[in-house]
Amino acid sequence: MSSDQDHLKETDTEARFEFKKEENSAFETEKGLTEETVRVISEDKDEPEWMLERRLRALKQFQEMPMPTGWPGAPDLSEVDIADIVPYIRPDIETRGGAENWEDLPEEIQDTFDKLGIPEAEKNALSGVGAQYESEIVYQNMQERWEEKGVIFCDMDKAVQEHEELVKEHFMTKCVPPSDNKFAALHGAVWSGGSFVYIPEDTTVNMPVQAYFRMNSEGMGQFEHTLIIAEENSEVHYIEGCSAPKYSAFNLHSGGVEVFVGENAHVQYSTVQNWSKNTYNLNTKRAICEKEGTMEWVSGSMGSKATMLYPSTVLKGPGATDNHITIAMAGEGQDIDTGAKVYHNAPDTKSTIESKSIAKDGGRTNYRGLVHIADGAEDSSTSVECDALMFDNDSTSDTMPYMEIQESKVDVAHEATVGKIGDEDVFYLQSRGLDDDDAKQMIVAGFIEPITEELPIEYAVELNRLIELEMEGSLG
Amino acid sequence: MSTQVHATLSEDAVEQISEDLGEPEWLLETRKDALAALDDLEMPDVIQTPGRKWTNLDALDYETLVDPLDYAQDKDRIDAEGVDVLSWSDALDEHGELIEDHFGSVVDTERDYLTALSTALFSAGTVVYVPEGVDAEDVKIRTTMNSRSLFNYTLVIAEESASVTILERQTTGEDTEGDQYYSGVVEAVAGENAYVQYGTLQNLSEESYNYQVKRGHADTYASIDWIEGNIGSRLTKSSVETRLLGDSSESQIVGAFFGHDDQHVDIAARVWHEAEHTVADLVTRGVLDDEARSVYEGVQDVGTEAWDTSSYQRENTLMLSDDSEADASPKLIINNHDTEASHSATVGQVDAEDMFYMTSRGVHPEKAKNMLVEGFFVPVLEEVAVDELREDLDQLIYERLRE
Repeated sequence: MSSDQDHLKETDTEARFEFKKEENSAFETEKGLTEETVRVISEDKDEPEWMLERRLRALKQFQEMPMPTGWPGAPDLSEVDIADIVPYIRPDIETRGGAENWEDLPEEIQDTFDKLGIPEAEKNALSGVGAQYESEIVYQNMQERWEEKGVIFCDMDKAVQEHEELVKEHFMTKCVPPSDNKFAALHGAVWSGGSFVYIPEDTTVNMPVQAYFRMNSEGMGQFEHTLIIAEENSEVHYIEGCSAPKYSAFNLHSGGVEVFVGENAHVQYSTVQNWSKNTYNLNTKRAICEKEGTMEWVSGSMGSKATMLYPSTVLKGPGATDNHITIAMAGEGQDIDTGAKVYHNAPDTKSTIESKSIAKDGGRTNYRGLVHIADGAEDSSTSVECDALMFDNDSTSDTMPYMEIQESKVDVAHEATVGKIGDEDVFYLQSRGLDDDDAKQMIVAGFIEPITEELPIEYAVELNRLIELEMEGSLG
Repeated sequence: MSTQVHATLSEDAVEQISEDLGEPEWLLETRKDALAALDDLEMPDVIQTPGRKWTNLDALDYETLVDPLDYAQDKDRIDAEGVDVLSWSDALDEHGELIEDHFGSVVDTERDYLTALSTALFSAGTVVYVPEGVDAEDVKIRTTMNSRSLFNYTLVIAEESASVTILERQTTGEDTEGDQYYSGVVEAVAGENAYVQYGTLQNLSEESYNYQVKRGHADTYASIDWIEGNIGSRLTKSSVETRLLGDSSESQIVGAFFGHDDQHVDIAARVWHEAEHTVADLVTRGVLDDEARSVYEGVQDVGTEAWDTSSYQRENTLMLSDDSEADASPKLIINNHDTEASHSATVGQVDAEDMFYMTSRGVHPEKAKNMLVEGFFVPVLEEVAVDELREDLDQLIYERLRE
């Protein structure tokens, strides 16, 4: 496995020393991420010149943009010091491929894996580099099965090499340009890894395409990029992320997801994320939906110290549809600020947002959403429903929806409720012989059912188990 | 355009106003402090989403718009038995200490630029004082603005177990022309078990810019209800707020607006639950026609000590035109888990089925639409407990529909 160290060994000695010196000094100064770092990443991946240029342009934008401050109730990002972002990358380059041994993983993560019942072999795969993960085999099979039809599913780095034109056209151009926000710009500069999915016209991939083998397997996995292109009349369900905590040696995750939903195409993007509790999760995910296309986001945000994530859909063509189903759970010390953004830019577009959150042990959940209905998007409709469940008085649960309506012939509805776990419900279940823990667990499972039923069974099961784990210790 | 030379925003002007009203030293100092603070104060908060500031208050040139020493106005004050409804100077003579105690205790005199401007320059004040145990009838205050700018200040003090209903109307006189600026600050103090209902019907000229802050503090078992009717002005930025500070205190904020032409209505309704068993209900309905725009922010903030809270919020906007715009942000901020809270917001147009139903029964489409719009306001009008205010509001809606 190559690493940055190997890379340095391969280069000519003089250049290496010069380079090292520069880099080290860059790390030590307060300048933050430097051009050199970006060049190293690009060179290491043997990228075409245009990609390096895009990275450098993104870097420039990153350096120019202010931190997203001043949002009411936004998570505290003061610890995410720009000057510190580089050291965050550095250990990743050094420990490329993640921890060598299972024992090197933090105890809480080992513990979670154990409780999830993940077998030893898989644990090794999860913590190691070269080992194959079960899902990767699925992916290999899939590729054989579908590649005749022109379906592409590969590593994003590989896609840059092998499907250059497709990537060049779609990568951070129209969907998530680096100028979108500071962390999208950061992502554009240092992205690495992720998945590339291409579904040609009239093709239905009728089993979920999964990618949770990606954990730390490619260098800076913390900045993975996912690009999905579903051409006209195609259909795909992509499942991302792991349903187990990711091991992270550092504190910032800034991924990028771009989805192109062609005319009459249907894309579902499901993710259950459970980052370790020292991670700042600042992602940008967006879909552009053409005429009669359908985009569905199903997401569970469980881990991280702070999350700011608002998957968004641009309903560009008439008759396009977007559905968001999200669940957030925040425990001790966690601040999960998440929601959905939908832009209705064409007539007859529809969207639904269903958001559930659970706050306990001092955690904070916030639904922050934006529904924009542009002038001319007549006969569009949207419905937003948010429900929050609170376990105790140390926790906080907020909802901050925004609705911008520029068209009169529309139907817009927002509803949100907050409540505590019902004493009566608990009593009812207890009176039927369940203990307090089980009763609460059952109520929570019922509360999030609309989400779990959208997930493939194994994910639903794991999501439920994760929630059980999260609740362990807070009950009884 | 007026050719009169304006007295600028100077200490001299402030001193002159203070002298005209026969004010004590402390108030003059408060005014001067507010004037001095202007340089450092920001405009009031408005809703911002990436790339967009929904109400632009910076665009106004306040210094040109404001003529501190010209505060021509007609003021009618109709009191009720047992209640003192006094002009600012009379109130200072009769209840000087009471005013000193409460002035600025609810609305920070330097809360933001526009509030500080109001503090420094207000001239048209009213004090409503309801002594302990007095159960008063309706109090009416009518302000007719006859000058380029007018700064109004109202202080309501309801002592323990007192109750009062205040009806305020704001209109523009016949003789004014050109842009105008109206600013109103209302502070309401509701003592233990007191009840204050404060209704405002704003129908200023459509060349006026209107800034208002109304805020109340509710003690144990107290209720503060606000009714906020906005029909006039070109731009309105109005905040209506209650802090529920005592156990079992309650507040209702009922809002209705009807914007047409290029009117801009920015309403913020906010409630802070800071004690146990507190109840809040926020209901706003608005209609937008032509190029009118509404910005609505509702905040229900439940503090950590606010056990057993109930908090509800509804906002509905009806759009009659393709060129109108509506922005809504109903926020819930919950720090106590023993809370029942909900908010909802909808935006829609006149229901096509209802229209069909009515026109198929021979009602002319225009009339059918008007009936449906009037019907839309009914749930809000029903919440307006003051007959006179409800009827006036209804009448204004009726007239606007037939313009």
